[in-house]
Amino acid sequence: MIQEHLGTPPRAVPAPAPHRAGAPAARRIDHARADCTADSRGGLAFAVRLFDETAADVPAHEAPESAAVLLRLRQQHGPDATVRLPLARAEAGETLHATLAGTALLREGRWDAHLDLGDEELLRLLPGMNDLRSLAAGATFPAHAWLGVRIPYTTKHGNLSVRAWLRRPHAEAGALHLADGVMELHGTFHGVRLDTTAHLEARPRDAAAAPVRVPVRPDTEEHPGQATAPDDGPEGRHPVRGFTTELPLDALLSFGGVWDLWLRPAENEEPVRVARILDDVLNKKRVFSYPAQQVTDGDGTAHPVRPYYTVNNNLSVEVG
Amino acid sequence: MHISFLIFSAYGMGGTVRTTFNLAQALAEQHEVEVVSVFRYRDKPFFEPGNGVRLRSLVDMRRHRPGYQGDDPEHALPATVFPAADGNYKQHSALTDRLIGEHLATTEADVVIGTRPGLNVHVARQTRRGPVRLGQEHLTLATHSARLKRVLRSNYPRLDAVTTVTEADARDYRKHMWLPGVHVQSLPNSVPEPAVSPADGSGKWVVAAGRLAPAKRYDVLVRAFAEVVSERPDWGLRIYGHGREEGKLRKLIDELGLYNHVFLMGSANPIEAEWVKGAICAVTSSLESFGMTIVEAMRCGLPVVATDCPHGPKEIIRDGEDGLLVPTGDVRAISGALLRLIDDEGLRTRMGKAALTASARFDPAEVAARYEELLTSLVNHRPGAVHRARGNLLGGAYAAKDRIRQGVSHALEGARS
Repeated sequence: MIQEHLGTPPRAVPAPAPHRAGAPAARRIDHARADCTADSRGGLAFAVRLFDETAADVPAHEAPESAAVLLRLRQQHGPDATVRLPLARAEAGETLHATLAGTALLREGRWDAHLDLGDEELLRLLPGMNDLRSLAAGATFPAHAWLGVRIPYTTKHGNLSVRAWLRRPHAEAGALHLADGVMELHGTFHGVRLDTTAHLEARPRDAAAAPVRVPVRPDTEEHPGQATAPDDGPEGRHPVRGFTTELPLDALLSFGGVWDLWLRPAENEEPVRVARILDDVLNKKRVFSYPAQQVTDGDGTAHPVRPYYTVNNNLSVEVG
Repeated sequence: MHISFLIFSAYGMGGTVRTTFNLAQALAEQHEVEVVSVFRYRDKPFFEPGNGVRLRSLVDMRRHRPGYQGDDPEHALPATVFPAADGNYKQHSALTDRLIGEHLATTEADVVIGTRPGLNVHVARQTRRGPVRLGQEHLTLATHSARLKRVLRSNYPRLDAVTTVTEADARDYRKHMWLPGVHVQSLPNSVPEPAVSPADGSGKWVVAAGRLAPAKRYDVLVRAFAEVVSERPDWGLRIYGHGREEGKLRKLIDELGLYNHVFLMGSANPIEAEWVKGAICAVTSSLESFGMTIVEAMRCGLPVVATDCPHGPKEIIRDGEDGLLVPTGDVRAISGALLRLIDDEGLRTRMGKAALTASARFDPAEVAARYEELLTSLVNHRPGAVHRARGNLLGGAYAAKDRIRQGVSHALEGARS
């Protein structure tokens, strides 16, 4: 018979009496958990709770003054691969607080969250409650020079990481309709004006086949649906424009494999990857799913063709 | 009081585990509380048992541990105390019979609480003389097989009390099981106050959550939402959960061309973070023993549109005040109720606030207080030998009658074959 105590209370535990002078050193901080809240300006607030090895609360004041949340970009090095967010103690609170400002630049990728207590070792942060409701209706922050969201998530090892996207210019995919062998895509383009030469480019991945180009129509009026955005941002410095494009799927039958979709806003501009990165959904691949279309080639053979989101939430089309 | 829960596995992620831990933790503020898990499959429980609750297990099923008991020869022998009519029979064995029996024969608890029919039978038959014996029904009598009902009838007279999660089910127990001297009472499941602030109703998502199982009738919800989209294309539906209906639902969404509006989100934990992104919760089940998701959503400030199915929804929702009840399976009525809330922001906000207030009655502290009252009165008026003896007699009489009936039906089956 196995007996054990398992008291792992996240809240509702009365804090022990403060240490008297001359009392033994503060208890060891064994692990820490962070609740993350996305604010309406693109920022991400961390509320960190500390625990000892018996999973009992360690009061916030027992953490050193220099304590910080340290975000490290996975598999990357250099000055912009580490972000340090100082932790502040709330008045008489059980938690420590740090904020990643909406205006702070965070390279695109997966950032592992650590607690830095000033000693040699970093403590990997554990996830708590993530409140991302401010992102759920579509996250565009007009004050930013970049597009993207930061989504806290639990890794497969049970730790807290933050997935960040950072793009400008950016082509955000919206509603997508499949009918009669044509993929009709609505979206919004951010950062550069779309002109009459704008077009969508489907590029075969890992193959020498020629890209397929189709024109992109900027919306003349406001875009319907949740992707609605004002025509231009403040002072016209951040142009935002809805667009529609129609891709005949039989044009992709020249290569049986994956085609990545890019949008070139004007003939003389660089193309940008079409993606869906402006909401609270971490992995689009399973959630945004589209039915395969049967497209017939010149020999009368039917091929299944299906748009899908990649692991990075970029839009591609798979030809079977 | 010393209160001891007996549960199949405290290490799983089912509703019984969660509601047992909620109740155990709330009771532990005043009492000594333990949760005894028949099986242990993992090192750590999926949910936290809560402050002050002692958790222990009887049979170690962790293969990587030296104490692994899954290969004990006694575990290969069939159970005789745990009834074959309980759906978990296959996991039980002569070993579990013996270890549960030893635990119940030596327990120092004042109250022993079983959490499913098979374990309630153990509690009824093997608890030593003295402690109060309570059997919890987390499902419903109506959904049990005739065979299981016969087993319960012959064993439950030896309990002191049976609790159900709805009044409707308590009525069924009183009506269909003759349990003289056994106190039958409904006590709802509890849901703690969420650790996120409530929804403000400004989102444009309808949210549903639960296993993707046939009884949840998500197909009805998806069809109803097609009607919503045709009027309000700016709204979307998110369905959380996994299950065997996933493929069918995906196909239905594709057929109806709803892939820009209806999303199968997969599992989410904690689910509260997802409720608060929504403005309305939808429950379109054909059957809900209780309706845990209804309470969860209400505690997050969402008005719920739910089918008036047996047994739980109508005991949780006050129709027109803190949510809307619609006829089961009625696509038109469901889309109508959703659109009524979607089109009327004032009504939506009002009902959301009412839901938040009304659902406080399911707080673990409230439910635990009602349990405490029941347990205290049972302990103080501990039914003496008279009731127990009668229970034994009655159980025996039922068993004899049921054996005869079984014999007859077997004979009839034999005649037909």
